[in-house]
This record gives sequence, structure tokens and C-alpha cells, in this order.
Amino acid sequence: MSQATAGRPPAGRTGGGTARSARPRDRAQWSRYTQQAGLIACVLVLAAVFAARNGTFLSSSNLIELLRSATLYFIVACASTLVLVGGGLDFSIGAVYALGAVITGLLMTHGTPWPLALLAGVAVGVVVGLANAAASIYLGVPPLIATLGTFFVAGGIAVVITGGTDVYGFPNAFISIGAGNVGGIPYLIFYAVIIGVIFHIVLERTVFGYNTRATGGNRGAAAANGIRVARLDMALYATSGAVAALAGILGAARLSTASPSAGGASLTFQVVTAVIIGGTSLFGGTGTIAGSALGAILFAEINNGLQVINVDPLYQNIFIGVILVAAVAIDQYRRKRRYRT
Amino acid sequence: MTEPGAQAADLELRGITKRFGHLTALAGVDLAAYAGQVLAVLGDNGAGKSTLIKIISGVYHQDDGEIRVAGNHVAFRSPADSRRAGVATVFQDLALVEVLDVSTNMFLGQFPRRGWFIDRKAMEAQSRAFLEEHKVTVASVRTEIGMLSGGQRQIVAIARAMRTGAGIVLLDEPTAALGVRETAHAARLIRELRDQGTTVICVSHDMNFVFGVADRVQVMRLGRVAGVRDVTATTKDEVIGLITGSVSDQPIEEMP
Repeated sequence: MSQATAGRPPAGRTGGGTARSARPRDRAQWSRYTQQAGLIACVLVLAAVFAARNGTFLSSSNLIELLRSATLYFIVACASTLVLVGGGLDFSIGAVYALGAVITGLLMTHGTPWPLALLAGVAVGVVVGLANAAASIYLGVPPLIATLGTFFVAGGIAVVITGGTDVYGFPNAFISIGAGNVGGIPYLIFYAVIIGVIFHIVLERTVFGYNTRATGGNRGAAAANGIRVARLDMALYATSGAVAALAGILGAARLSTASPSAGGASLTFQVVTAVIIGGTSLFGGTGTIAGSALGAILFAEINNGLQVINVDPLYQNIFIGVILVAAVAIDQYRRKRRYRT
Repeated sequence: MTEPGAQAADLELRGITKRFGHLTALAGVDLAAYAGQVLAVLGDNGAGKSTLIKIISGVYHQDDGEIRVAGNHVAFRSPADSRRAGVATVFQDLALVEVLDVSTNMFLGQFPRRGWFIDRKAMEAQSRAFLEEHKVTVASVRTEIGMLSGGQRQIVAIARAMRTGAGIVLLDEPTAALGVRETAHAARLIRELRDQGTTVICVSHDMNFVFGVADRVQVMRLGRVAGVRDVTATTKDEVIGLITGSVSDQPIEEMP
């Protein structure tokens, strides 16, 4: 397995050949995409099975419905991918989804123009995110617990300020941002693509993305090399909160209703599961937005396909649980084979 | 003492004392390191080497005493302070990110950028050029650190410290994990650093390595300086004597 040869005597080596060789690079690149290839295969095989049982699965209207149901999860998953790659974990997203929506909804029903109400909802998400980061950095509370705490606090606030009832009666302009479509393709799918591309570029090309990967990969090393890890955490959790709130607001626009019981634990678990199935490591450092997109699509496909072929939807969680454990087992196996300890 | 001429020390520690509760890890330790020289710091376990390294790299702050860099008084309250003063530390744990490739690790915390974006081409080209210049052979600068052996990682960590262009390079047990060939390679890199005029401080257990690369040796014993010698003017036996306490420049009271 030794591909690198540091320590070989330098005599007789020419400069050009020393530090570059295509083969190991290709192998490293290839290995990075194997899990995604496996996921794509999984998505295609399931599609074939569902289509064989019921041809309407592959109809364009069903595929658009499938994608639309994946979009809100995927949008939240983009930010969660960044948080996980950075070595964190944000469980509060399900509650922030509801809180952002009801704050925006209440402001609109009290006469605030919708763009301002939307910004206020997103700002509340940022505040919860900063609280998550602060609790983990300054109080030393592990992210799992800090964000579980804010999950309950944010969810509780959403229930208290609405009295537990749904908020509705929104302006049409607001509803159309979530419910509108161009040529039959919902706006939501466009939002998901735009947000996905932005997060992909941030993670793969920017200094912020590299710092995130380094911090998640080895926090001590990142800090020792001058990366400001606390500031990075702040930015990651604030982004996660903002995006979760935005997704909740878009979901409220789509349904013309902001419900304090939207999102919740099931959204949190589905998003984190989709991200992990997509190949993002729970231990930080590795992960891709494309993988999370595939994870979200696989999720939506299982939901949708089981309904289309008339399998009791109660079965879907069993599938998802098995896939989650299998995905993490495969990730562990790859790590063991790939890295020396 | 063996100070070269009238040259001022590039890094100077005076009367450094560090206590942990009742334990005095360092008691009035002096140290002087000069540009273009390798100073080896030797000592048995518990002699205070690690504490000394951590004070110079800003991980600990001394309770008493002062640090001067190029004659100027400095206060290291964090590793960032130390780095800003021109000290690059190669820690024993190397501070490399296993899931990232060689070139990314070489530029960790100092990525070349174009606006908000990483200038990946420049980063890889500079890493490659630097590694070739110093005859460090890794298969590709895109190889992830996790795929390298311990020795290869050590070499990358040393190369990174060289790349930063720091005036003072501090190495903590650079050969602890290395095989014979890799040790020779590390020694060559350290000599190159010295020949560039860098001040090199190297904590090591490896007597052969120390006598191969160091210009001066400072021996620590029980939190104090047992002696400082020019490598050319001492023997391994004398240094071992200083380490064990059978030879001493100053009376050392055994601590209870």
C-alpha cells in the first residue's frame, strides 16, 4: 500500500518525477466517489423495482413530486453537511424549522411586509445557531447536547408564541414563493439547486470550506496552525440555523400555513440520516453536498416509491434504518482500508 | 559557555519558572539559541523538556522569567502569539489533518487565495516545488496524509515548518517515530534549515541524531539546566553523565 516514498535517498532522482504521479491521485479520487456511485446504483435499482411494480413511478409528474418532497430536506441538509464536515452536529434544525416559520407567519399576520418577516424568521435561526456555538465553545457542552437543548427551547418557543395552533392568512406574494412553479417545475426545486450549488462551491473551493474540513478532520491541528476554530463554529452553526429557518419558511409558504409542529425531531433525524447516508462522516472532515443530495433523493424515493407500489408506509422507517447502518458500516470499512493509523 | 562571538541570541529565555500546583516543572531555566545553529535539548523523562517546548510554542505561559526574540521582549499567551513572533513548532503529534492532502496540510491556516477562493493551482505548484527543492518525495501532493507512514508524515510536518519561513523552528522529538532512512532524511532537512540561517531547537532522546545534527546541546535535569556544551567539545559519555546527574555544572538539590 505504500504509495509515497518520503525518505528514499535523493541521489539519482530527477526533480520532475518526485512529487507527482498520476496513479495514486486517481486512486484517491476514485475512492472518494465510490460511496456516491454505490448510492446512485441504489437509487437506480430501487427506481427499477418501483417502476416494475407500478409504471406511474417514472411518470414526470411523480418524479417532480418526488424531487419536490426531497427539496426542503435537501436545503436543510446542505447546511448540516457543512456542520458535520466541520466536526459538529446540529440537532436543533427541526425546531428551528418550525420556529422560523411561525415567527415569519405571525409577523405577516400582524401586518409586517413579507420580505421583512422572512428576514426576521431567518435572523431568529441565526440567533439559535449562535447560541448553539456559544454553548459548545464557552460552556463546554458537547454539540449533541447543546443543540438538543436548543431543539427543545426553540420548539417550546414556537408552541408558546402560537398557543400551539397553526398560523395562516398569508399574502399571496409570500405563498407564491413556496407554491409557485415555472412550466410545472416548482420554484422549490430551483431553490434547492441554487442553494446546493452555493454550498458545494463553499465547501469545495473557498477558504472557509477548507478551514471547515481541516477543523472537522483534526480540530487540534487546525487550531495549532492558526485556524480560528471558535469563529468557524459560530459561522457554521449560524448558517445551519439560518438555512433551517429559511426551509421552514419556504415550507410554510408552500402549505400557506406555519405550524409549530412542523419539522421537529423527524426532520432532524431525516436530515442527519440523509447527510450520513450521502457519505459525510459523523467524525468530521469528509463529506460532499452531492452525496447529501443523493441521500435526500434516496429518502424521498423510498417514501414515494413505497406509496406508489402500495406498501404500507409504516414499513419505510425499517428500510431507512437498515440503509443508515449499512452506510455508516461501509464508511467505517473504507476508512480502515484507506488510512494507516 | 559557548556563545559564538558577540552575536546576540535569536531566541533567549531567562529565568523561566513554571509550576503546576506544588510541582515545579521548570526552575529558573535559561536558554539561548542562535541563528544558523541547531540547539538540541536533552534530558530524562520529567526533566522539563516538554514544559520548556510548550512555553516557547505558547501552549503554556511561564510563571516567572522572560523570553526574548532577536533581543525584543515577547509574551507568548497562545500558540498564535508564538507563531506571530516567528516561531514554527513541529509538535510531537505533528498537527496534520489526516483526511486532507499533502499540499493542503502544507498551507494549513495560510491558504493562498484569490478573493474568497482557494488558489489550488498555486498551492499545489508551490508545495510541489518546495518538496522537490528539498528532495522530499511523496507520491503526489494530492496524497492524503492518512495514507502516509508515520515517517512520511513527520517529514511533511518538518517541510511545512520550513515552508512558513519562520526564523525559529522548534522540533519536538522529530525522530521518535522514524526509521533509519527517515531519520537521515529528517537530519538532512534540519541541516538545510540551519544552513538557511534558521534558529533550530530540537528536543530529542536520540543521542546519535543529536550528535549528528546539533551544534550545541543543552541538558535538562529535574527542571533545571544541567549543562550546555558545544557538540565538538563534548562526548556522549559526558552528555549522558549530565542527563543522569553523575556530571554536573551546578549542584542540583533533589526534589522531594
